[in-house]
Amino acid sequence: MNRRHFIRTATLAGAAPFIRAAEPRKLRTALIGSGWWGKNILKEAMTSGRCAVVALADVDVNIAEIAGEQVNDISGETPKLYRDYRELLAKEKPDIVIIATPDHWHALNTIDALKAGAHVFVEKPTGHTVNESRAMLKAARESGRVVQVGLHRRIGPHHVSGMKFLKSGAVGEVGMVRLFAHSAGGGPEKPTPNEPAPDSMDWNSWCGPAPLRPFSKKLHPGGWRNTLDFANGTLGDWGVHWLDQVLWWSGEQYPKRVFCTGGRPVLGAPVLNDKEQTSDAPDHQVATYEFEKFTCVWEHRRFGGNDSEKHKIGSYYYGTKGVLHIGWRDGWTFYPSTKGGKMEHADAQLVEPDGHNIALLWADFLAAIDQRRAPVASIELAHRSSVLPLLGMISWRTGRSLAWDAASETIVGDAEASALLARPYRGPWVYPAV
Amino acid sequence: MATSRLILLALLTATAFADDWPHFRGPTRNGVSAEKGWKSEWPGDVPVAWKAEVGLGFSSVVVAKGRAATVGHADGKDTVFCFDAATGKELWKHSYPAELGDKFYEGGTTGTPTFEGERLYWLSRWGDLFCFDAASGKVVWEKNIAKETGATIATWGFTGAPLVSGDLLVLNVGDAGTAVEKATGKLVWKSAAKDSGYSTPLPLGDLALFGNTENYLAVNAKTGAEAWRFRWLTQYGVNAADPIVSGDRVFISSGYGKGGALLKLGGAAPEQVWKTKKLRTQLNAAVLHDGHLYGVDGDTTEKAPLKCLDFATGDEKWSEPGFGSGGVIIADGKLIALSGVGELTIAPAAPAGFKPTTRTQVFGPKAWTAPVLANGLLYCRNNRGELVVLDLRARKL
Repeated sequence: MNRRHFIRTATLAGAAPFIRAAEPRKLRTALIGSGWWGKNILKEAMTSGRCAVVALADVDVNIAEIAGEQVNDISGETPKLYRDYRELLAKEKPDIVIIATPDHWHALNTIDALKAGAHVFVEKPTGHTVNESRAMLKAARESGRVVQVGLHRRIGPHHVSGMKFLKSGAVGEVGMVRLFAHSAGGGPEKPTPNEPAPDSMDWNSWCGPAPLRPFSKKLHPGGWRNTLDFANGTLGDWGVHWLDQVLWWSGEQYPKRVFCTGGRPVLGAPVLNDKEQTSDAPDHQVATYEFEKFTCVWEHRRFGGNDSEKHKIGSYYYGTKGVLHIGWRDGWTFYPSTKGGKMEHADAQLVEPDGHNIALLWADFLAAIDQRRAPVASIELAHRSSVLPLLGMISWRTGRSLAWDAASETIVGDAEASALLARPYRGPWVYPAV
Repeated sequence: MATSRLILLALLTATAFADDWPHFRGPTRNGVSAEKGWKSEWPGDVPVAWKAEVGLGFSSVVVAKGRAATVGHADGKDTVFCFDAATGKELWKHSYPAELGDKFYEGGTTGTPTFEGERLYWLSRWGDLFCFDAASGKVVWEKNIAKETGATIATWGFTGAPLVSGDLLVLNVGDAGTAVEKATGKLVWKSAAKDSGYSTPLPLGDLALFGNTENYLAVNAKTGAEAWRFRWLTQYGVNAADPIVSGDRVFISSGYGKGGALLKLGGAAPEQVWKTKKLRTQLNAAVLHDGHLYGVDGDTTEKAPLKCLDFATGDEKWSEPGFGSGGVIIADGKLIALSGVGELTIAPAAPAGFKPTTRTQVFGPKAWTAPVLANGLLYCRNNRGELVVLDLRARKL
């Protein structure tokens, strides 16, 4: 036996059992925030076949139990259930943590999960205030872990093809972008009674670092999106997706100036007293983002959304050769403005009933972990995309335009507005350091 | 031969047997009508007896003593309608201010009124409880039961119909029900001031069975004393489908991926016989006929299939895709099924398969309300409040 042959034989002999043993170990996956959206992400994790669901956390033990039963139905696994996510992190040492809590919890959940050594998939927007998002980015960089943010429109097929079309020059020179989300609705908003939180729920922990306010069905489930202690209204919830697309398209880092106006003329003044409460996010807003090479306008209305406008959600890119609409369930459509120009269209390809592309985003997340590369909606990108709606909200609160210094990520010459880049936390929670 | 004479007698009695539908899920509270002799096929156009507009909502129709009642919402008000059951002539209506309540759907009324004797009882989503004189529409008494008991209002409000039990009205209000005197509305017993479930209390001997946010449970209808509770945790606390009882067995089922279970009663607590993910009834309960369950498996967000399951074992017999969140009833051994988009199908209720003999588009979506058969007339209602009454009488009376 010559040496060459020996080596080959030895390698094969040695490799065979190794290959058998090396069926890739499943990634120990945990979920913090086990409601509707968290379970949508978790389902994709399970469908990938590479994740073992080891634990679920929720401040409402019933919600964790329901999610646990659903995991068991799908995979036969019996994840451990936790009310306190810190206990989950300490005991389970997960490889991956999915974070689908309300926005005001994202920063602490993410930073703690990274410190516990996990890769993180966190919902958008990254932070509830700008400096939380910066702290999340810092923690991600220090950890060397992969952080994917739930901006699934970064990978959705019709967004990818629409972006390719846009970047091909087919729309011509684009000087302005308009982003929008409109829905039908009436007002004024009737206050919802305060009531005891369900027995199964730790309401104090749900509020966490945010101000403690009375429980109401207006807030949970889902309604917190329009209560500013916990989220940033439609601009924070929807705006971040479309502003992210603008950064993706333009390659610009940040706008130079931001101005936002809006209010609650339809829903009426917010109510919060010991008996009842309403939401407090604006029922409409218009935000203008002044970029180096173009202007971007965000508009939302939670009333008067109907077929008078061709599209109710998405983005219009206004170019010299025509207008490109990239939307949601309506895919993308190009409306030419040149003579003989051809209308073009691509249908959306979404996972229903909720119309998302989390499966693709999850596959990219796993690939990024395997290849030790940045994921497609990395925290580096998503941080900046999340800052845009948050700046819009600061301008709306202060009632004036903001000059933004991209390099230092600070508001120029406005102490009052600068103070709103962070907010006081309710103890014992401590605002994360940037 | 005695046997054949009995069969002949039964056949004669059965012919053209008509029945009222005085409360939710019909005369025997299980979606089954004994009515026979109605037309299940017709040539040409749909035989419409009458139509009405009753406003937004999913409230079902009840029919008794020549009257048909239902409820709908429009312009900040709920309206209780009482029609001549045969002609559709409006006998009376009563409106009161009410919220639209459009959380995750377009809003409107969700419960169903109850006829008993010369009274019509109605519990609104927001706890408004009414006793009407059925003939005149005069309010005999009214109150808000949520305000009186302090019970919190679940996300989609109170949807269970009032159950008349002797002198009492038993309501799915609070953690384990509430009861008032039916004559006066005076509170008789109540339970912990929490969210309720969404099902209609179902009588079983001295007990009333219904779902709350975390359980199906049974309470003594007279006293409110709890007999048992069976933990049944469903997303958003939506235990909405009425239990289905057969002998000492009770079938319970919920949507949002939860599933169903057959329970055996008799011990201190129910014992689970089997459990399934193949019948997850989110809104309307299934119907039991000849040892088989017929019902919708899945949520309004899916195009849920209509299914048939073996009651004894839980085995799936067939699944008809794309039915949607409609409802079924059974009369004379036939399924009368109104799909989520308003298509009416009539088919033999048989485990061998779903083989419709009739298909008719009654109206457009959403049709989440099961049809109602009473005295040869089929009452169909969609969420927009189109009430379409089909004339299935073999011949005009």
